[in-house]
Amino acid sequence: MSEKLRSIEIPIIITAICTLLQVIPYYFNIPVIDQASAIERDWMLLIVNMAVFVGVISIGQVHGRKIMRRRDNWEYSVVLMVALIIMAITGLPIESIGLGLDNPIYNFLFINVMTPLGSTMYSILAFFITSAAYRAFRARNIEAALILVSGTIVVMSNAPLFTSSLPFLITWKNWIFDVPNTATMRGVMMGAALGAIALAVRTLMGIERGYLRGGGAD
Amino acid sequence: MSILEKLENVERRYIYLLAWVFVLFPLLFPLGLPIPIGRESKAWKEYIENIPSDSTIIVSMDYGVSGMPELYPMTVATMHHLWTDTASKNFKIVVIASWNQGPLVFDTLLDQMNPASTYGVVYGEDWIELGWIPGSETGMAALATDMWSQTPKDFLENRPLSEYPIMENIKTAEDIDLVVSFETGTPGLPEWLRQWNTPYGTPFIVGCIGVSVPGMAPYLASGQLDALMPGLTASGEYEILIGRPGLAVSGLDAVSMSHLLVVLLVVVGNIAFFASKSKGVN
Repeated sequence: MSEKLRSIEIPIIITAICTLLQVIPYYFNIPVIDQASAIERDWMLLIVNMAVFVGVISIGQVHGRKIMRRRDNWEYSVVLMVALIIMAITGLPIESIGLGLDNPIYNFLFINVMTPLGSTMYSILAFFITSAAYRAFRARNIEAALILVSGTIVVMSNAPLFTSSLPFLITWKNWIFDVPNTATMRGVMMGAALGAIALAVRTLMGIERGYLRGGGAD
Repeated sequence: MSILEKLENVERRYIYLLAWVFVLFPLLFPLGLPIPIGRESKAWKEYIENIPSDSTIIVSMDYGVSGMPELYPMTVATMHHLWTDTASKNFKIVVIASWNQGPLVFDTLLDQMNPASTYGVVYGEDWIELGWIPGSETGMAALATDMWSQTPKDFLENRPLSEYPIMENIKTAEDIDLVVSFETGTPGLPEWLRQWNTPYGTPFIVGCIGVSVPGMAPYLASGQLDALMPGLTASGEYEILIGRPGLAVSGLDAVSMSHLLVVLLVVVGNIAFFASKSKGVN
């Protein structure tokens, strides 16, 4: 009996049923399946929410170990753990004792720490992109020259400094966006969709087992 | 090392320093450059102006604090436009977020815009905020079939939805006439389209960061996406179109200067590259 319960076919069957429950209502209107699909989605949301706790535990384990063993840059882990604990406690939804999203400490940390840090992380991209453009945009061959020219036109067309004096850049950018870009992105999307369909079929048929037992043979 | 080789391989830190100077300068000393209006911002304005009366609109905050520099100005400008028209066109606006920091970003917007006193809109009657919808695409699908069970209470006052008149006729995706999504990535438009546009035919307009724009092109061409606000430059144009210059306009000089630097560096790098090549350095 226990051997049967540990059989690889059981998780494959569960996966197949769960997948079909989501796929069938997309194409057919069968009330019973619709209801089952809705229930399954609620289960998935519960699992997603539980995964947040797993994430917090995992962060605690990784950084706790780093602090205890005084590994390189362990001081940053202390900052992370302190911030995590303070944000978690002050953000708990217990309004009767002053906790929750209106808590002044939580708000202070969000407005004065998280927001500027998030903006900084995003802004750093500008520096990386500038440096990358300088190094990568070299007309080493025809293909690179095409990317260089089209990329430069798009960059210039997004800056009022250029478009105010060279308005034709906007027309050129629109053509690049509408024709080569759309065609390429369509190809990428269709390729990815076909790949996803193939993966789904393989998973449903039990051929793709990468998500089970680390992908090993049964 | 010859000067050509040096120009070809300028150290990263000097490029960063230049970028910093080019961005900072116009923020300290605004240049006031003219801003030509592009087709995207025009289309966005026209779309919002032509939303039919009595429409129920979902505004989805699908970004976190890291997306604020580029998306927050367009969110403010669009909410200004929508709330300004709310009284005359009897809009019902439902604010949600598929990103967990979305509601906190919207809190910042509320502190800044104060809709009740500025636009005279009533919370719970003209608009409501339902908060974060967890579960990414699964959450979107669940919200489409039963909004009340996904968010039994609102976000701002934490009261049951049954206490708000606005929610009386809003139960599923079929009750929604338009979704306005501001987004930086996944979950975003593809997930929305799969769960809302294809099964229910809900129209979409999207404001996104610059790097996401190429990926939006096929959806715009297919008509699944009705209007696109592509990044900060278009936001600035839109602010001018609605007569409310704000955060985006103030940042456009910096955008211009940073783009100028990129173009200069590309030109210098290529001149050095070809000069070295002709001398047989490479």
